[in-house]
Amino acid sequence: MNRLLVSPAPHLHTKTSTMSLMRDVVIALLPTVIVSILFYGWREIMILAVSVISCVLLEYLITRFLLKRPNTTGDWSAAVTGVLLALNLPATSPWWMVLIGAIVAIGVAKMTFGGLGQNLFNPALVGRVFLLISFPVAMTDWGPVQGFIGGADAATGATPLGLAKEGGIEAIRNLDYLNMLYMNIGGSAGELSAIAIIIGFIYLLARKVIRPHITLSIWITVFVFSGIMWLADPSAYTDPIFNLLTGGILLGSVFMATDYVTSPMSAKGGIIFGVGIGLITMLIRYFGSYPEGVSFAILIMNSTVPLINKFCKSKKYGR
Amino acid sequence: MKKTFSIGGVHPADKKISAGCSIEVLPTPQTVYISMSQHLGAPATPTVAVGDKVKAGQVIGEPAGFISAYVHSSVSGTVKSIGPRPDLAGNKVTHVEIAVEGDEWADGIDLSETLVTEIPADNRFIIDRIKSNGVVGLGGATFPTHVKLTPPEGKKAEILILNGAECEPYLTSDYRIMLEKPDQIVIGAAIMKQVLGGPRTVIGIEDNKPEAIESVRAAISRLQAKSASYSGIEVAVLKKKYPQGGEKQLIDAVAHRQVKSMGLPIDVGAVVQNVATSLAVYDAVMKNRPLTTNTLTVTGDCLPADRQKNYLFRIGVPFSFIIEQSGGMPEDAVKVISGGPMMGKAISNLDATTVKGSSSILYLTAEQTVRKPESNCIRCGKCVEACPMGLEPYLLNKLARNGMMDELEQNAIQDCIECGCCLYSCPANIPLLDVIRVAKGDVMRAIRARSAKK
Repeated sequence: MNRLLVSPAPHLHTKTSTMSLMRDVVIALLPTVIVSILFYGWREIMILAVSVISCVLLEYLITRFLLKRPNTTGDWSAAVTGVLLALNLPATSPWWMVLIGAIVAIGVAKMTFGGLGQNLFNPALVGRVFLLISFPVAMTDWGPVQGFIGGADAATGATPLGLAKEGGIEAIRNLDYLNMLYMNIGGSAGELSAIAIIIGFIYLLARKVIRPHITLSIWITVFVFSGIMWLADPSAYTDPIFNLLTGGILLGSVFMATDYVTSPMSAKGGIIFGVGIGLITMLIRYFGSYPEGVSFAILIMNSTVPLINKFCKSKKYGR
Repeated sequence: MKKTFSIGGVHPADKKISAGCSIEVLPTPQTVYISMSQHLGAPATPTVAVGDKVKAGQVIGEPAGFISAYVHSSVSGTVKSIGPRPDLAGNKVTHVEIAVEGDEWADGIDLSETLVTEIPADNRFIIDRIKSNGVVGLGGATFPTHVKLTPPEGKKAEILILNGAECEPYLTSDYRIMLEKPDQIVIGAAIMKQVLGGPRTVIGIEDNKPEAIESVRAAISRLQAKSASYSGIEVAVLKKKYPQGGEKQLIDAVAHRQVKSMGLPIDVGAVVQNVATSLAVYDAVMKNRPLTTNTLTVTGDCLPADRQKNYLFRIGVPFSFIIEQSGGMPEDAVKVISGGPMMGKAISNLDATTVKGSSSILYLTAEQTVRKPESNCIRCGKCVEACPMGLEPYLLNKLARNGMMDELEQNAIQDCIECGCCLYSCPANIPLLDVIRVAKGDVMRAIRARSAKK
């Protein structure tokens, strides 16, 4: 007689796996990666390669030799961290700095906590913030870098947020917002094109990888908060559209704040989390000493996730 | 907008491959084995002895408690043995073995196909017929129907819901009876409606079965034209989503009411019955015909199209006989399931016998069903999104693995309906329901022990 397989129900399983979800994130990042390579050329290719290879290799070495556990790099999560870290760095970053960022991201922020799913903070952001604090000059060196399209100075110079911080509202008077939609001026590789990031966002939503709650609540908070400040005093505060399109808001809200591991479980929790990120970002931009605050805002809100999960329970049937 | 339940749910491909196969009568084998434990509650007590001659439709087991049911022979012949025999999971259950001789039915049973539409006025007579003919719920739980139709003192049924959702993938037996016997189903519904004091009656059917919706609607208008006793019966079209056929989910979808934790549907004025049960009620009341046959789907992706079947089978026929009759087990099937792929049981013993609630033989291939290795929880929240009871499976899993009983109860593990949505949707292949099911058992025992002490 045939030997029959017996196991408890359910007997079917969704085709979605950790690997397919992470792969979808990488696919969603492709438009942004392509834009950054077009504008920053070979340097960006080097940064992406160093970042992704060192993240994946580090996770492999740590699981193999330190933790003596099965290799987990097949789940693509280390690759996602690698791409995100690379997109969060200036195109002038030297290779050793990228490597240090990867060591901090994977070695400290991810594997010390027990690997995927266990970390409290977004690994790529921990890597970035570590570099920002350790090498403040290199991390704000915006060029010039020779890209494949546009001149050497097409996407270089100080970031709009940096200009606004130093020169006040007058310094950004001549910015063309339409231009910023598809091609920003100055900033990390991943901050170049709003359109590329939004294409990725739509892909993630369509594939049901993420829900829109976190991202939209960040956008709305930033828009409303800066809108109120701008209406109150347009000569002192930057306007809402400027705040949505510049810096890391888009990249952070679509790809970093929505990281499963470090964001709340429920939709309600996600909204609280997003509002928190939006508020902290704007407080840092308007009143802090750094021109940009998205990374800090996300990391600060990461630390509140266990608490949010405890208090934002899903609605239970019949209770 | 089409109705559906408000919390959670998943959308597995519905795979109704055998939907186009008309119901065929399965031949009778030489021997049948009739289980005494075909219903929820106490197993029946055999009332025949070895060597007795029995007729089809004759009582061979009587209820051994309030929640129990009569068992009838589905064939005529001689009792060969009475004793323990492994069921589909290998558990020993008392069976009556009958060697088939001819096909002679007990007296007083109407075997004709003539449609009887005149509902008896005496409700006690109806309940008695339902009870004495061994009718149990055929939607999965096999709860004795006469008990469900007799609400406790002080509780009143405000809505009767017929479950025609058939939300499990692959299954098509309910679909076929809705196409082929819609009048009988509607008459069964009207009978139950009358017994319950005439509440509003809704037949819920998912929108992936438009022909069934059409067929049942037509039957309702035909019968309404004939008699006033069929007024107040309607079809509700439901948006396809699993587990729509879950009792609590169906009440939420159709009546927008939610049964309280640990409560019963009647607490919110609802009674839910499966369409197949409704057909059995019709047979029992109008034809005095005991529950000795049911419809069963033979299906699976690995089964050739010409071997997909919907059979009318005699209860007590071994699964192995049905498999043989439908051309044998496909080469690449590794798992055989009785019931749907989400909540059905994997058969370990093909010689086990069919029971009243058997609804399918489903073949699954290794690629479809073998579990992949578990990896770390990535806290994606997909299990929370999927749970139709609004629970947090990832949390229950963690609490259960740490044996935290009080926290499990606070997080409502006892509300779990074991639908499998969490395990189905987990991208890290964590066996959420396996862990939760065991822990739920422990918590339920603790709750019962506590209330017994009071």
